[in-house]
Amino acid sequence: MSDRGVVFDLGYTPYEGERRGRRGALLTTYRDGLNRVFGIRRRARKKILPWILIVLAILPAVVFVGFAFLLSTFAPDAQSPFGSHAEYFSITGATVLLFVALAGPELLIPDRRSGVLAVYSSRPLRPDDYVGMRAASLLTVIAGFMLIPQVLMYVGFAALSADGFFKGLGTNAAEIPKILAATAIYALAYAPLALLISTIASRKAAATGIFLGVMLIGTALAAGLVQATSIPGHKYAALFALGEHPDHVRDWIFSRVGSSDLVVNGAGIDPWMSLVTILAVATVSTVVVVTRYRRLM
Amino acid sequence: MTDTSIIAATNLGHAYSSIVALHGVDFALPAGRTGLVGANGAGKTTLIKILLGILRPTVGSANVLGFDATKQFLQVRSRIGYMPEGDCLPEDITASEFLIQAAGLAGLPSTAARQRASDVLTLVGLEEERFRRLGGYSTGMKQRAKLAQAIVHDPELVLLDEPTAGLDPEGREEMLELISRLGGFGINVLVSSHVLGDIERTCDWVLMLDGGRVLRSGPLSHLVDADMVAVEVVGDTTALIDHLAAAGANVDSSGAHVYVSSFDTDPFNLVRDALAATNTGIWSMGPKATTLEDVFLEGSGE
Repeated sequence: MSDRGVVFDLGYTPYEGERRGRRGALLTTYRDGLNRVFGIRRRARKKILPWILIVLAILPAVVFVGFAFLLSTFAPDAQSPFGSHAEYFSITGATVLLFVALAGPELLIPDRRSGVLAVYSSRPLRPDDYVGMRAASLLTVIAGFMLIPQVLMYVGFAALSADGFFKGLGTNAAEIPKILAATAIYALAYAPLALLISTIASRKAAATGIFLGVMLIGTALAAGLVQATSIPGHKYAALFALGEHPDHVRDWIFSRVGSSDLVVNGAGIDPWMSLVTILAVATVSTVVVVTRYRRLM
Repeated sequence: MTDTSIIAATNLGHAYSSIVALHGVDFALPAGRTGLVGANGAGKTTLIKILLGILRPTVGSANVLGFDATKQFLQVRSRIGYMPEGDCLPEDITASEFLIQAAGLAGLPSTAARQRASDVLTLVGLEEERFRRLGGYSTGMKQRAKLAQAIVHDPELVLLDEPTAGLDPEGREEMLELISRLGGFGINVLVSSHVLGDIERTCDWVLMLDGGRVLRSGPLSHLVDADMVAVEVVGDTTALIDHLAAAGANVDSSGAHVYVSSFDTDPFNLVRDALAATNTGIWSMGPKATTLEDVFLEGSGE
C-alpha cells in the first residue's frame, strides 16, 4: 500500500455547530477510558482478558441463582449453601483486583508513552480533569464488576422467594447500603493505588506486576513480619497487607466474623484501622497522581 | 494587544529555575500566517506552551484571541488547535477513531465529530487510510494525521510546532501546501520552525526569537525584500564605495563585492552612475535576494 496520500481540493466547510467546551472534553475523556479498559475499538487481543474477567465475575452469580432455583424446585425446604452477598465480594474482589491491575496501566501509560497527553493539553481540560475522568472510568468499571452480580443475586433470590418477588426484594433491602458501602471500599482500596503505580511506571506490564506485587506479595511479607518478630507493636506490620484491608472492612460492614486466614485478623487489627489505612493510601495516591499530572500537562 | 492582533505578549518572560527561556518579550501578531523562527533553545516551544496555558509566565502576560492565556486558558484552548513536534498519536486505534476523539475533546458532539473527522482526513489526503491503525503509518502520514487532529474542530488559530520535521522532500511539499491553504479556510496559523525556507514559503509575518528575545517581528515582505544590488568589482572598490556613500546609498562590502541599497532611489541607477563617474570595471552586477536566513544571521550577530 502506498504511504503517499493525495490531497484533494474539495473545499473546506467551517464548523458552525454546537461546541460543548470543557463538558464535552470531560465526557470524551471518560468514554475513552471505558473504551480502553474494555478494549473497545482496539485489536481483538485487547478485548480477551477484560471480557474473560467480566464473565468470571458474573458467572458464579448466575450459577448461584440457578442452583437456588433447582433447590427451590426439588427441595423447597433446603437452604441454599451459596449466595451470601458478603461472600460474593470474595469472588468479585479477586477478579476486580486482576482487572484493576490491567486497567489502571491501560488508562494512563499509553497516553504518556505515545505523546497523546500533548493533545489533551491543547484541549479545554485541566490536568485534574484528565486524572479525574480516568479515575471515574476505573471506578465505574469496578462498580460494575461488583454490583452487577450482586444485583443479579438480589433480584434472582427475590424472584425465588416463597413470599413473592416484591416481598423478597423487601426482605433483603437492608443489604443494599452494605453492598454499596463494600463496593466503595474495594474501589477506594484498588483504584487510587493502581493509578499511582501507573503514574510512576513507564510500561504497562511493569505497572501490572508492581500492583499485584504490592497487593499480594505485600500481604505475604506482612504475615511474615507479624509472625517473625516479637518487638512491641509488631502486629501493626499487618497494616502493610494492603490486599486484605477491603475484605476486613467488608466483614465489618456486613457484621461478619472475619476469616482467621486474614493476616489483619490474626494480628488483631481493628477494622477501623483497615479503613483508615485504605483512606490514607487512597489520599496519598491521589495527591501524588494529581501533582505529577499537573507537571506533565 | 491591538485591535487587529490575534496573539500579543507584554513583557512576557519565563525561567526554568535559573535558566531564562524568555526575557520579557513584547510583540503583537496579526491574523494570517505567522512564522515563529529561531534556533534551538531560542524560546519557541516555551512561548507555545505559554500560549496554550501549559506554562505560566514568570513575568508579564500573553493574550490569545482576546483571552488571557494564563487565566482563561480553557477559553483559549476551546478556540485553538495544536500540532506538537513530537509524537502524539496512539498506535492502537485508527486515524478515524483518533480524530473523532480529538474532535470530542475539543467539545464537538459525537455526530459532528464523526463528520468533521471524515472531512478533515479527506482534506489532508488520508481518506483511503482512515481505517488503518496509526501505528502502521509512515512518517509523512503521521505528520498529516497530527495536522488533522489540530484542525478537526475548525479552530480559529492553530499552533504548528515543526510541522515538517522528519519529512522527505515530497512529504515536505505536501505539508507546506496544506499549511498554505489553512489561511483560506479562515484558520490563523502560527508555525514554529527553524527551517527558514519553510517560513518564507508559507507565512506573511515573522516573529524571530534568539536567546529568548525578539530579534525581529514584522511582515515577511519588509524583512526579506530589501531592494539591494550586488556588484563584483574589477580592482579597487574604494572610489566606488565613496561615490555611492556620497550619493546617499547604504553600502556594504566584502572583498571585491559591494552591496548597495537605497530607500530614495533605485539602487541600480545609483550604481550605474557611480560606475560611470569613477570609471570602475565590474565582473557582474545583479539584485541581491535577502533571505530570512540573512536577516536572522545579521540580527543574531553571526
